Parts: sequence; C-alpha cells; structure tokens
Amino acid sequence: MTTVIARTATRIAVPLVLVTAVALMLQGHNLPGGGFIAAVLAATGFALVYVVYGTGELQAFVGTSGETALFGHGPIEWYRLSLGVGLALAAGAGLVPILFGEPFLTQTYVVFHGLPLYGELEVASALAFDTGVFLAVSGALLTIVSVVGSR
Amino acid sequence: MSWRGVQPAFTTVAGLVFLPFLAALFVPLVHRVIGERTAYYAAAVALVCLGLVAALQGTPGTVAVDWIPALGVALRFTVDGLAVLIGFLATGIGLFILAYSREYMRDEVGLSRYYATLLVFMGSMLGVVFAGDLVVLFVFWELTSVSSFVLIGFYEQRPAARRAARKALVITVGGGLFMLVGFLLLGAATGTFDLTAMLARPAAVQSALRARGWFLPVLGLVAIGAAAKSAQVPLHIWLPDAMEAPTPVSAFLHAATMVKAGVYLLGRFRPLLAGPEWTMLLVSLGLVTMAVTAALAVSATDIKALLAYSTASHLGLIVAGFALLSAAGAETGTLHILNHALFKAGLFLVAGIVAHAAGTRALDELGGLRHELPLTAAIAVVLGLSMAGVPPFAGYYSKELLFEATYGAARATGGLWWLLPAVAVFASMLTVLYSLRFLAVFFGEPPRALQAVHRPPATMLAAPAVLGLLTLAVSVSPEAAVHAVVGAATGAVGGPAAYHVGLPTHLTVPVGMSGLALTGGVAGFLVVGRLETDLRAVLAVDPLTVNWYYDGLLNGLDRLSAVVTPAVMTGRLRTYATWVLGSTTVLALAGYAATRVVLPPFPGPVLDLPAVVVLLVAVGAALMATRAPSHVAGVLTLSILGVMTAIFYILASAPDLVLTQLVVETLVLLIFLLVLDKLPAFYGVASRLRAARDAVLAASVGLTVFVTVLVATAGVPGNGIASYFLQHAIPNGGGANVVNVILVDFRAFDTMGEISVVSMAGLSVLVLVALHGRAEAGR
Repeated sequence: MTTVIARTATRIAVPLVLVTAVALMLQGHNLPGGGFIAAVLAATGFALVYVVYGTGELQAFVGTSGETALFGHGPIEWYRLSLGVGLALAAGAGLVPILFGEPFLTQTYVVFHGLPLYGELEVASALAFDTGVFLAVSGALLTIVSVVGSR
Repeated sequence: MSWRGVQPAFTTVAGLVFLPFLAALFVPLVHRVIGERTAYYAAAVALVCLGLVAALQGTPGTVAVDWIPALGVALRFTVDGLAVLIGFLATGIGLFILAYSREYMRDEVGLSRYYATLLVFMGSMLGVVFAGDLVVLFVFWELTSVSSFVLIGFYEQRPAARRAARKALVITVGGGLFMLVGFLLLGAATGTFDLTAMLARPAAVQSALRARGWFLPVLGLVAIGAAAKSAQVPLHIWLPDAMEAPTPVSAFLHAATMVKAGVYLLGRFRPLLAGPEWTMLLVSLGLVTMAVTAALAVSATDIKALLAYSTASHLGLIVAGFALLSAAGAETGTLHILNHALFKAGLFLVAGIVAHAAGTRALDELGGLRHELPLTAAIAVVLGLSMAGVPPFAGYYSKELLFEATYGAARATGGLWWLLPAVAVFASMLTVLYSLRFLAVFFGEPPRALQAVHRPPATMLAAPAVLGLLTLAVSVSPEAAVHAVVGAATGAVGGPAAYHVGLPTHLTVPVGMSGLALTGGVAGFLVVGRLETDLRAVLAVDPLTVNWYYDGLLNGLDRLSAVVTPAVMTGRLRTYATWVLGSTTVLALAGYAATRVVLPPFPGPVLDLPAVVVLLVAVGAALMATRAPSHVAGVLTLSILGVMTAIFYILASAPDLVLTQLVVETLVLLIFLLVLDKLPAFYGVASRLRAARDAVLAASVGLTVFVTVLVATAGVPGNGIASYFLQHAIPNGGGANVVNVILVDFRAFDTMGEISVVSMAGLSVLVLVALHGRAEAGR
C-alpha cells in the first residue's frame, strides 16, 4: 500500500486529522466532539501512518528511546506515558473538588469576559477531565494499533 | 458470674477482633528486624487480646456500625458468655502456642508467613465468636478456613501437605457454603441478618421458619457447615490429614479453636433451632462420630493421628451434648469445650516434644520415654487421664454430664433412645483405650530402634505445663471454672447459668456408666491387643473408608475436566467466540423466558423513507459480507454497514454519535487492514455443517440483541432523565453539548471507569503480545 499517491495523501491528511482531533476536543463541551471522539480520531491518524509507512517511519519521527526490545518499538513508550498521564489527569481533576468540600468529580465552569481576540471565553473544569480522557484513550488505542501493527 | 450492666465499647470489641489482623500486617517488618523472636511479638499481641477479652467479660451486650446498609448488614459484635469462653481459648491458648513456636519452629523457613497467618487466624476466630450478624459470622468463618489452609500447607514442598491443605479447604469451605445458604434462608425468613435480634426472639424465628417449611433445610444446612468444620463423620477425613501442619498449628487450630467453630455454631443456634429434629439429627451425628473416630484413634499408628481422631471424637461428644435439650446437655457441651481445649492442646504440644526428642511419631517405635522426659511424662499423664475421663480429672466431669444427659433422654423417651447411653459408654471405653495407648509411649521398655532421646528446652515445656496446671485446676475445682466462664456460656446456649458439678457422692446410673467405661477401656487395653490390627484390617477395605469416596470424587473431576477442557479451550479464537457468544445468548434468552418478558407491541411503521433506504442498504451489506470472496472484501463490505449506521444517526440528529461511529469505523477498518496483511488470504471452504452451525449461532446472537434492545427500550420510565439532562446541561455543566456534559460531568464517574478499562485493555494487549514474543524468543 505504499504507492506514491498514498504516501503523499497521508502526508497531507494526517496533520489535518490531528488538528481536527484537537479542535474536536476543545470545542467538545458546546459543539459535537469531546475527548473520546478526538482520541479515536487521533489514533486513526496514526494508524494511517502505520498502514502506509510501516513502523519505521514513525519510529524515526518520534525517536527511539533506549532499549525497548521487550515492548516492541520506541513510540510505544510514548503511548504508555500518554495513557498513564491521561489517567492521572482525569483522576486528579476529580480529586480537586474534594479540596473545596465537593464530591469527587464535581465540575464547574467560569466565563471570562472582555478578553482580547476571544471576547468572551468559557473555561469549564471538565476540560481537564476531558483532556485526561483524550490522553488515556488515545494512548491505549495507539498502544493496541502499534502492537498489532508491529507484528 | 455477675455481669455488670455496662454496654461494651465498640472500640474494645472491634479492637479485639481487628488487632490481630493489623498486627499480622507488620509481621514481615518485625521479622526482618528481630528474626525468630517474632514469636514474642505475636505472643504479645495474643496477650493484649487476652486482656481485652477479660475486659469484655464484664460487659455483655451488642455494638454495631453499618457495613452494607443496603442489605441490612452491620458490623455487629455481641459479647456473651459463649463468645467470651471461646475468646479466652483463642487468645489464651494462642498465647501459649505462639510462645511454644519460638522453640519448635527454630530454624524453619517462612516464619514470617507462619506468624502472620496464625495472627490472622486468631483474629478470624475472634470474629466468628463475637459476630452478631450472620454475614459477618460467615466472612470470619471462611477466613478461619483459609488461614487453616495456609497453615496446613506450611511445608509446601511436601505433596502430602499440599493434598491435606486442599482437602481441608474443599471440605471446610464447602461446608461453609452450605451454611451460607442456610443463613440466606434464615435471613429471608426473618427479614434480617441480625443474629442478636434473632436470639432475642427464638420462638418467633422458629415459627417464621416453620411457616415457610424452611426449618429442616436451615437446620440441615447449618449442621453441614458445623459438621464440616468440626470434623464430624463423614466429613472428618480432613482432620487427620491436617496433621501435616506444624504441631503448634495442630494444637491451636485443629484441637483447641478452629474445629470448635463448628460446635460454637451449634451452641449459638441451639436456642433458635431447638426441637425434636435438632436432637434427632445432631445426637446421632455426635454419637456416631464419637464412636467411629474413637475406633479410628484406637487403630492409629502415629501419635498425632491418634490425637486427631480423638479430637473428632471429642467434638462428637460436644455435638451430642448440644443436641440434647436438657440442662445437662448444654452443660456437657460448654464444659467440654473448655476441658477439651486444655487437654488436647497440651497433648499436642506433648506430642510435639516427643517427636522432637525421639525423632519419630510412630507409636510402635516409642516407649519408656519417662526416663528421658520425666516432666513431659508427668504433664502427659494429667492431660491424658483428663482425656480418658478418669475421675477426678477435668474431662471426667463433662463426660459424666453427657452420661447424665443421654440417660435422662433415654429414660424420658425410651425405646431406641436407649441406644444413646449405650453408644456413649461404648465410645468412652474406646476413649480410655486410646488414651492409654498414648500414655504407653512414656512407660514400659524403650524399643531398641529408639535413637538417643534429647531433652526439650525449658521454653518448650512451659506451654504444656501451664495447660496441665489449668487442667489440674479444673480437676480440683470444676465449680470455679463454671463460675468463672463456663456458666455464662451455658446460659448463652440455653442452659442454666449456674449449676453444680463435682465428684459423685452416691451411686447413680451415670456413675455406673462411667465405671463401666473405665473398666471396659482398661480391660480392652490389657486384654485385646489384637483389636488394633483387626480395626486396621477393616480399614484396609477401600469402600469402607470415606477417603476412598473423596479420592474417587476428585479423580473423577480431574478426568472430567481432562475431557472437557480440550473441547472448550482449543487455543483458537473462533472456538472461544462460539462458546462465549453461545452461552451469552442461551443465558439471556433463558432469562427472558424465565421472567416471562413480553415483547412490546409493534407500533406500526414509524420511519420515513430515507431511513428505510439506509437501513436496507445496511442489511444488504451485512448479507453481502457473508458471501465476500476474500477477507479484505469482507471487511470493506462490513464497513458499508458501519457507515450506513452513521448515516442513520445523522437522520436521527445525533451528531456526536455520528462522529464517534465514523471514527471508530475508520479505526477498526485500519486495524483490520493491518492484521489482514499478515493473514492467509483464504482459509478454504468451510464444511456445510460448520457453516450451518455458524449461521445458527449468528442468527441467535442477532435475535438476542434484537430482543434485548426491544425489551430494554420499552422499559424506559417516561422521559424523566433525558429532560433532566437537557434542562441542567447549560446551567450546571456549562456546556451546550449535552452528550459531552453527561460524559464529563453528570456521569463522569462512569467515564472514569471506562477510560480505566480502555487503558487496561491497551496494557493487556501490550503485555500479552510482549509475553508471547518473549516465549517465542526463549523457545
């Protein structure tokens, strides 16, 4: 599947896919999207790279980190990191409300007015949790994709 | 015993029960610092617990905190005479055993596990006896079985120890499960698991049980649990095997305390289940056990095996005592719990000293040890005569009470009931006989084969000496023992709290029975030397031993699983998928059939034309997929189905679902393509039969899902939740995308669980594949 057309299309498509994923995650609270969808989309982007380029290219892109013979190739280390950080972030975001005497995982939001460029911006605490979801899910899916793909 | 009218403090009772568990956690640390002296640490814990039991003695009552309020289960502890009696045994004998272990377990490996498990056991035993709630009682009950399993298998390299541990676990935990069913029935009949409340109104509980016809089942189930734990015939077979455990464990768990859990249970339930059925069932169980296992003890060739069978026999005596509803019956049970714990734990420790000193436990190879072990011999004589029930030693009083109870029952009822005193006397004769056989190791001429005997260190003698002195104290003044602890226990099992025990002043029938048992036993010992060999010849006939059936059962199970396993676990994914999907389907459909689920009526066509077209395309794609000429074509056809589903979501205005469906569809397609690259292009033609089987399976899975969706969506109660979410999404969650607000706010806990699962799945794939790779590399 490594025709020139496929390679070129992938080169153009994957960055777009990743940017779309980030956008979906950020807008998720008010428009269609969210951490889970964004994570699956991002994973799809990476999977496309695997299918078209194989594992070598991505390895060169991310950079292999030391001896990883046991667990496949370099990027998996990153995926596992993403998975762990995501879980920690989601759980941590849930723990914060306890400091304020609220139940675990209570969410709230603040609306900022009069900001330059944005004008009005709503920041929901759920965004932190959603980011955790994004990191955990994409880490897990990418781990699966790359393990399956590398064999 | 004068109870002060003070409630026990929850902290004291809970502290008593949980302190050993807490202390067990620190054992590895302590062991690292002070090594073998961990024995003293554990003994100190037992001493503190002993003090706490003593402190609780004056404060009967019930304390509780909620545990599982939804089920009405509370962490409820009740302090009463019976609990205090066995609490004293568990902590007091525990103290001696732990101190004795210091010397006995010298230079053993795995001491940290040994002491930690002993402490866990002690805590569990305290939990069992102080529990005021059936669920709490059950949990601690099974914990004693589990700790007993670990301790029996202490020498885990020995196959015999592993087999013995497994047997004890199978029988005692299995019995516990029967008991659990009994508890559940009891809970269902009375509407509560509160044992204390039940004991406050025994008549109401019994009539509630009888009204539903559950009295006999509950009685039988509880009796099975107790019989398994207290080694009653035919479930006694685990106890002799359990002698693979280190001797202090045998003395503590398998003589003094854990096996008492069964008779404790019977004592506890005696006021609740008392009735003619209770007496019929348990008196025959107890007396048969008493006689059969006494005969087995006579035929034993190993001093620990002799003591083990003897333990089962004495437990039978206690069961028989509790079975009889007269005052003497209750007195028999409680007084013998104390006596037996004292003399049997002491005798096991004596056996441990003999085995250490002489290097063997075979009765044939032992003799004349009084010259080398004079003190041990003196202690053994006191304890052994108490076991034989020779007046004026402690065991005599409780045995005399049994004679009195059986004689009273026989005189009151007549007929076949005269068997009871007869069997009791017969079993007591055998008891005298095997007690003399045990004591014979100290007398007569030492056999030639006996190696040089070395004297035990003083610390090893201390524990049996104290137990001997306590036995002597009960012998001298049984009234004091009744006054101190036993009387209150007798009161708790439905007997009189104060009564008279002592040497007979004039000749009565029970006294005559005692005399008969004594002379019969001594005569048997002197005259019939052949009895043992005859008994052994009987036991050589396999079908006459319970073990033959047990082994047959286990071997049969082994063979069955050897047949079943290859059929179910072929190592091929499609086999697993077949079994999993098939059984899910059968279970779900059977569930619907059993609950008589009615399908909602068909409301007529509700879909508009575009949706119908989309769904028809989807169905067509699904049918095409089955005819696909290659894997790639099949996967691509399937993704048509996926995309059609997405379009259906668009028509239903669910943008989030559309996005999710599309990206998941794409990702799955890509993963398939990655995998298919490595698979053979074509597997060959499936046989007609297999194709038909797969078609049936697929159709029934589809049917199950279809029915489930119909039934599940029909059961939605109004529109309450949906409109709640829609109203509160913006003001409370600050988000206009209600799906996302549900995910990250209203139902964030669910999402938390889901991402944990997804992460776990990722890591599992990683580890499985990595391990597979490593295994291949190592091959």
